[in-house]
Amino acid sequence: MKFWNQVISITWKDTFSEIRTREVISSVLVFTLLVIVIFNFAFGANQETLRLVAPGILWVTFTFTGVLSLNRAFIPEKEQGCLEGLMACPISREAIYVGKMLASLLFMLIIEAIALPVFAFLFNLPVLTLPMVTITILATIGFVAVGTLFSALAINTRAREMVLPILFLPVMVPVIISAVNASKMALSGKPWNELASWIQIIGVFDVIFLVVSCLIFTYAIEE
Amino acid sequence: MKITILLWISLALMVTALYLIFVIAPIERTMGIVQKIFYLMVPMGWLALLSFLVVFIGSILYLKKRSLRWDILSYSSAEVGVIFTTLALVTGSIWAKPAWGVWWTWEPRLTATLVLWLIYLTYFMVRSFATEESRGATFAAIVGIIGFIDIPIIVLATTLWRGLHPGALIFQGGLDPTMLLTLIISLLTFSTLYALILMQRISLKNNEVEIKRMKELSQPFN
Amino acid sequence: MENVSYVFVAFAIVWAVVFGYILLLLNRQRRLQQEIDLLKQRLEDRKGGD
Repeated sequence: MKFWNQVISITWKDTFSEIRTREVISSVLVFTLLVIVIFNFAFGANQETLRLVAPGILWVTFTFTGVLSLNRAFIPEKEQGCLEGLMACPISREAIYVGKMLASLLFMLIIEAIALPVFAFLFNLPVLTLPMVTITILATIGFVAVGTLFSALAINTRAREMVLPILFLPVMVPVIISAVNASKMALSGKPWNELASWIQIIGVFDVIFLVVSCLIFTYAIEE
Repeated sequence: MKITILLWISLALMVTALYLIFVIAPIERTMGIVQKIFYLMVPMGWLALLSFLVVFIGSILYLKKRSLRWDILSYSSAEVGVIFTTLALVTGSIWAKPAWGVWWTWEPRLTATLVLWLIYLTYFMVRSFATEESRGATFAAIVGIIGFIDIPIIVLATTLWRGLHPGALIFQGGLDPTMLLTLIISLLTFSTLYALILMQRISLKNNEVEIKRMKELSQPFN
Repeated sequence: MENVSYVFVAFAIVWAVVFGYILLLLNRQRRLQQEIDLLKQRLEDRKGGD
């Protein structure tokens, strides 16, 4: 019980400071919308082409969104010297990981909850279906599971903002492949059982990397 | 003198492997002589996996034990691994040209190897970006662990992605016994070579550490 | 039979890279050994001078 209290207080701390500053969600959201619009120019307005490339656009956008918002997960703490305070607290490193991870998950899901309807509106695609929502949530869990670990690691390097994407993108390849393909099937109205194998890959990735990241997180933030 | 013995063994194996590949093993019916690249490509892929397995184990032990020995092992194996992964990509590409008519194709195994190659490049990058050397070693160990665990999932995803030609690497009619023997000897040759290079790389790294220590030792005198 | 060239190139590249790498390692090893000997010598001299 004590563990979850610690987790919740960290998540709440991040959420509270986000409510006050609106630093991450508002800027990342604007970025996300910009990317969606700019991709539209890159591929032309042909409805058939758009239908073909839409899943790719969606997931490239969300990947960038993930990198951008995860980058902000630890950098403000480091800049304001809060991390030392957090480390000095009698809180287990696992609780810090889970708390930070949940906060990032919450932020990303809020951003996606706004971006998906916009996407559906601009591309005329049935994005707001149960399979699409499931895929998005599962893939986002995968993003934050690995992203929180690498984000903590990146703050202790030079060129912090560069390190996260460089580490993050190659590891996320299986999630991105699976999410794009599952979305492609979901958008063309394929039934659940055809999506199953893709969703399973994302699920397996989530479980494995939540556990592994939680276990080695302590080495990423140690002083 | 373990190294000298290993050197002679690997030389003997090398000659045997080349003899088997070019003289004994039959020329494959559908692919012709190009199929001989197979005896290079498979060992390269195998060595990529083997060396990253060593990186994985070394990384775990380094994080647990904090002994520089394990970091040196991981670092050396990662460097050797990146070289063999590069060679796996090069031979894969040379195979792709006559087999499928293009230098690069997003064939599942080739794609997975490329992703692997990218992950282990970041292993070195994160080291050079770290503010202190010991921290760089810790961060590299984290990449070494995450990267290796990612491999089966990458292979799974890329295979499912390109669903087609599942057995394109193993030819119609399966492997002939002499071909299998040739492949095994070839794998053995390169594995010994890997051990040899790894040992050499480790002793080199040890010397580098030793020099750094001695320089620090002689510093206060100056 | 022009495909022979692919086989040749593949084997040539692999063996060239492997041996090139080994030679590079041996070369660096030799230079490091020299440096170590030099440093040892210097440390000894320092000790003697005290």
